[in-house]
Amino acid sequence: MSYSTFNRKHFDSTKEPMFFGENVNVARYDQQKHPIFEKLIEKQLSFFWRPEEVDLSTDRKDFQRLEEHEQHIFLSNLKYQTLLDSVQGRSPNVALLPIVSLPELETWIETWSFSETIHSRSYTHIIRNIVNDPTKIFDDIVTNEEITKRADSVSKYYDRLIEMVNLYNTMGMGTFDVPGRGSIEISMPKLKKALYLTIASVNVLEAIRFYVSFACSFAFAERTLMEGNAKIIKLIARDEALHLTGTQHMLNLMASGKDDPEMAVIAAECQDEVRQIFIEAAEQEKEWATYLFKDGSMIGLNAQILGQYVEYITNVRMQAVGLETCFATKHNPIPWINAWLVSDNVQVAPQEAEISSYLVGQTDNSLDDSDFDDFDL
Amino acid sequence: MTSISKPKAPEKKEQVHRVLLGKKQILVTEDEPLLVQLERAGIHVEYQCREGYCSSCSIKLLWGNVIYPFEPLAWVQSGYLLACCAIVKSDIEIAFFD
Ligand code: FES
Ligand SMILES: [Fe+2]
Ligand SMILES: [Fe+2]
Repeated sequence: MSYSTFNRKHFDSTKEPMFFGENVNVARYDQQKHPIFEKLIEKQLSFFWRPEEVDLSTDRKDFQRLEEHEQHIFLSNLKYQTLLDSVQGRSPNVALLPIVSLPELETWIETWSFSETIHSRSYTHIIRNIVNDPTKIFDDIVTNEEITKRADSVSKYYDRLIEMVNLYNTMGMGTFDVPGRGSIEISMPKLKKALYLTIASVNVLEAIRFYVSFACSFAFAERTLMEGNAKIIKLIARDEALHLTGTQHMLNLMASGKDDPEMAVIAAECQDEVRQIFIEAAEQEKEWATYLFKDGSMIGLNAQILGQYVEYITNVRMQAVGLETCFATKHNPIPWINAWLVSDNVQVAPQEAEISSYLVGQTDNSLDDSDFDDFDL
Repeated sequence: MTSISKPKAPEKKEQVHRVLLGKKQILVTEDEPLLVQLERAGIHVEYQCREGYCSSCSIKLLWGNVIYPFEPLAWVQSGYLLACCAIVKSDIEIAFFD
């Protein structure tokens, strides 16, 4: 079936699945199958920000004073972030809009992608402010082997889904010989599987890979360095928290069968593959950490600690989509990151608030004074 | 750090519930979400948004009841709670990762 920008059929879109049903016709939000997506849209719009609002004048001086290996860490991390948002600024649109079937979800995808374009523009803002020649940095993103390796893993599921949907839209179902690609089978279960794996890999991109990069950005700010950059990353992190909730909803709705019973079967079938996507990404991020810190670590962060954070955050994200956790790290090795991730408009000062709870019936004999270090009574 | 004073008796009108976490027991009220009360008890809970849209503060709810004054945007897995916006309504037992 080929895509139509205005489907002429009469149908009740609240009876359609999220994907691979009818093409959306009227962009209407008076009746919604999954109102959560409109809530995400509203929240995302309330987050609107512009990179130029953030002053980066002290970052330039900070950057020049960084040691060489620290500049390597900072720039490599920034290149990786630029790559990730380059992918995210287009791929949800290109891959998902042709197959989406609910108006509220279609608009969420567009709103989501749009916010990624703000992220991309903010990297240019940062790079322009800290170096004289941004070209060198941007050009390296397509040549640096460590970065291109990352590019392969973040784009391959998207690319495969796009290829299959293109075939489906032009040729329909069947097995097709594609020059240079071999034979590709197109069937609804195959399409749905490719979609499910893609959403999982997008969740991994936004909920794990990005958070690893946030840790590096904030590690500089913990030392009161590159604070303008950290302000921008805080705004990006707030958006990403919403995006990862979007893909968690998609994955959980798919797996629950509440959206499309056929998708629930597929989700169950590829649970192992999805686990593998999470685990592989975590291993790649650990490798990346080794590359970042190859010439030396920085105060507060090294390859080992970042690797532990990778394991920890992967556990958190796996649990959120109903997968069994698989790494040994059960505690956040860099708890300070949360104070950076939290939005400015939210107060986090437990010691300032009135105490209304206290420990009682302490039965843990191993509890010592250090357990109380963090709170005043 | 200031010295630890004897806990005051809770005010009568306050509904106080016990939160079991491993071998620890924390008393909480219904006045505020669970997260801030756990933090005050010195327990580190993962968080980001603190308003229900990121799912970072998801914790296992082994038994007991919580409610959400506003429906969170994040997906709440069955058997879990979102600490940043959950109000504890009975004694509960919670757990972090297995
Ligand atoms: S901290 Fe974000 S949902 Fe609770
Ligand atoms: Fe982004
Ligand atoms: Fe994103």
